[in-house]
Amino acid sequence: MNITVTNADWAAIAPLSIVAATALVVLFTDLLARTHVKRYIAIVLGLVGVVVSAVVCAQGYGHDYAAFGGGFVLGGFSVVFQEIILLAAFGSIALYGAIGKEERIAGAVALMLWSTSGAMLMAGAANLMTVFLGLELLSLALYCLCGLADRPTSRESALKYLILSSTASGFLLYGMALLFGASGSVSFAQFTNAALASNPLFWMGTALFLIGLAFKLSLVPFHTWSPDVYEGAPMPVTAFMSVATKAGTLAVFARFIYAALPSGIAEKLLLPVWIIAGISMIVGNVGMLAQHDLKRLLAYSGIAQVGYILTALAGATPLGMRYAIYYLAAYTFMNLGAFAIAALLSTDAEEGSRLTNYRGLGHRRPIVAALMSLFLLALAGLPPTAGFLGKILILSTSVNAGYAWLGVLLIIGTAISLYAYAKVIRVMYDRDEHIHPHDAKPFVPLAWVSAVACGVLVVVITFYPLTPSNVLPLVK
Amino acid sequence: MLVLGLVLLPIIAGALFFALPDASNGRTSKLLGALVGLVTVVMTIGGANQEWAFRWLARPFTASFHFADSGISFWIALLLALCTTCAILATNLPRQRSFIALMLMLEGAMMGVFLARDLLAFALFWDLMLIPVFFVLISWGEHAGTAWRYFIYNFAGGLTLLLATAAFGVLYGSTDVIGHGNVHLVGAWVPWIFAGFAFAFLVKTPVWPLHTWMPITYSDTPAPMVAVVSAVQSKAGLYGLIVIGMAFMPDYVKEYAPIFVILGVISLLYGAFTALVQNDTKRIVAYSSLSHLGLIVLAIVSFNPLALQGAVVYIIAHGLFSAALFLTIGYVEEREETRSLVRLGGLGAANPRLAGALCIAALAALGLPGLAGFVGEIVILTGIFQAGMVWPAIVALIPIVLAAAYMLRLFQGMMNGPEVADLPVRRDLTWIEGIALAPLLLALVLVGVNPHAITSFDPSLYGTSVTTQGGAR
Repeated sequence: MNITVTNADWAAIAPLSIVAATALVVLFTDLLARTHVKRYIAIVLGLVGVVVSAVVCAQGYGHDYAAFGGGFVLGGFSVVFQEIILLAAFGSIALYGAIGKEERIAGAVALMLWSTSGAMLMAGAANLMTVFLGLELLSLALYCLCGLADRPTSRESALKYLILSSTASGFLLYGMALLFGASGSVSFAQFTNAALASNPLFWMGTALFLIGLAFKLSLVPFHTWSPDVYEGAPMPVTAFMSVATKAGTLAVFARFIYAALPSGIAEKLLLPVWIIAGISMIVGNVGMLAQHDLKRLLAYSGIAQVGYILTALAGATPLGMRYAIYYLAAYTFMNLGAFAIAALLSTDAEEGSRLTNYRGLGHRRPIVAALMSLFLLALAGLPPTAGFLGKILILSTSVNAGYAWLGVLLIIGTAISLYAYAKVIRVMYDRDEHIHPHDAKPFVPLAWVSAVACGVLVVVITFYPLTPSNVLPLVK
Repeated sequence: MLVLGLVLLPIIAGALFFALPDASNGRTSKLLGALVGLVTVVMTIGGANQEWAFRWLARPFTASFHFADSGISFWIALLLALCTTCAILATNLPRQRSFIALMLMLEGAMMGVFLARDLLAFALFWDLMLIPVFFVLISWGEHAGTAWRYFIYNFAGGLTLLLATAAFGVLYGSTDVIGHGNVHLVGAWVPWIFAGFAFAFLVKTPVWPLHTWMPITYSDTPAPMVAVVSAVQSKAGLYGLIVIGMAFMPDYVKEYAPIFVILGVISLLYGAFTALVQNDTKRIVAYSSLSHLGLIVLAIVSFNPLALQGAVVYIIAHGLFSAALFLTIGYVEEREETRSLVRLGGLGAANPRLAGALCIAALAALGLPGLAGFVGEIVILTGIFQAGMVWPAIVALIPIVLAAAYMLRLFQGMMNGPEVADLPVRRDLTWIEGIALAPLLLALVLVGVNPHAITSFDPSLYGTSVTTQGGAR
């Protein structure tokens, strides 16, 4: 197949090119800048790059275009996912500004930007090559990022992520090879061919491909890496991973199940996926109960939250897609918000990740504690937050699509999770005021802005639930 | 707008309270809070029969923030505003400012529950109203475990309510239905939807055997909040049973009525007998609530218009006297630093005003004619009897007799008898504490002599016109 590359193709990937180019700019200016301003320059440049990219990206909404011979599809779907990824990048870079180490900050910001561009590529990827390219760009940068902190656990985190993620990439590649073998094409659009429905190679390929994705989404039983990796990685990196990796992978996943399966077999083929989504909701929430570290807690929480989003996608209904995106956006705000609060309470040693340090916080720092409670309530799906509305939208779409049993599992999982989230709230408002752990930083502007913005958004989108209507079709 | 203000004002005022300087602890925040409460009382009356709606969702079903201050809602909202105002006036706790802020937020959330005309908004506020209580329990409660018991039980109910609401919306296409008389659900899913709602309502009320969170919650929560919780929050389940269960799924309520009757009767008897032997005064009132609310459940599922009217009157009456009882017990506990009947005694001689207040509240609770409790009980019993439920009506008489026994035991144990030497001697009710109780006691008399205003709603909206012979089994 000959591909002629036009200007429109370059324009389609402009947002992620901007992000990747910003990374280079950050690295070069770091060489030239004076030591004491390095930190500010890296952070400001990184944030500006992300904002410019977000503005450019928003222009693409409503313009459906298949760039690079269908390898990258621009459309409402990709734009929305890219914006969510950029939001995560913005928040994480802001957090890096609050707690990162001086000498490593430029490198960290650059790596994070490259990782972001990889996730953004996944958001628009409509053939297997682009998917893999995006995924590896995302992951390679993350392996380095995970190891950036001066702790043994950070190195453990990087190594664990590298080895396990590479294994998953192996599954993914093998699945891709089989899919290619079965269909003779790498393009998602060709997989809808009805003849593939009875081809065992295609079934095998789909299974391996989805296993690879399930690893990246940390679905049970491929989830065991995520608490350890999250715990060891620097906090802003954890915040980024918990949102951007999931958003990018979910975009691929959603595009695949909505647009790349022969008609008629989806229900049977994907049943195992829904079953592991259901198991993830239970296991993730049960796993939270025993955690004493905020990052581990949120890792298990993330396992369950992805289960909720997949529940919305079950049955592949157009409305389900919109609610999945809504919930993903809500999850982005509440998760980033929780990490921003943790960053507010942290220095390099990341005091904010140990839950014992939250004891009595409600009496010492009432506003911080109130915001944290809001994010925890949102994660638990309680009003007045987007978590509540998101859950009810997901429940109704699962009932509508005939997957009410997933809705019931969601309810059971949520009931379990309530205890874990409320436990943190209880610790914060505990009457026992004997312990006065030192709060690392009284005021960190960027982390404050992130936390407050997330807090406001998490409430506002409950009452003005904007769900993008312009997200289909997904392939050309 | 006034109706929306009823929901938003207390919540916003509560949030602003946290911004008050710490120096304004104590009396200032108490008076400011009571002022906000008083404004909501006026707004409830001024906004009578007004509505406000705002489209929330168009898909997957239509839902609105739709509130209306009319019918049963009006009376419960008035009860809520009144109880909150009185309870805030009666508050005297450490970290007073935060406590009153949470009280106001609780009021706003419960306003949302009772004024909502949309099931989804109802579900939202249902969950929201549990959060301030949870915060109070973890910060002011006596035992750590209580907060969990309250939280887990009630949110489990909240979640089944949520699932049922989602299923309702998908099935019917809209959740903007509360108060509509012509919505009837049919289909294979409906029993499950009904079960989801019913579980939430029965936990919240509560009825035996789902009540185990209730006595400890009531005894651990500070008196001003438990007054509001027992007076109004516990009515959310009964209110839901009437405006959702009876109105939209009467056939299923009728089908499962025997279960409700059995649970109601067990609650009635179990609550009354347990109240008779408790020594913790708060727990006596808690178990008496179990008993009284069991009677209301019985009244609701009898499908008799008269019983339903009695149920609504009794909902208001129980709210008034349980709030008054809890506030008075709170006063005593604050003064004597105990609420055990074993320790208390002989307070009446030195505290005539305190004794008088407790006397009126206790007499209303045991159903003295002329006070609100009597009207509710007699109308309910007549209604149940009329509906053909002869045996439940007869059984229900037993706890009414027992009510006299445990209420008098409560009163005598605290106020009569020889003065106990080692109890601290404190001053009688202050004027501000008296003002906090007076509206509740006055309302008990007003409702007692003129209950017709409350019964002016249309019982046929709630399934009772379908058959007045229902329940004759």
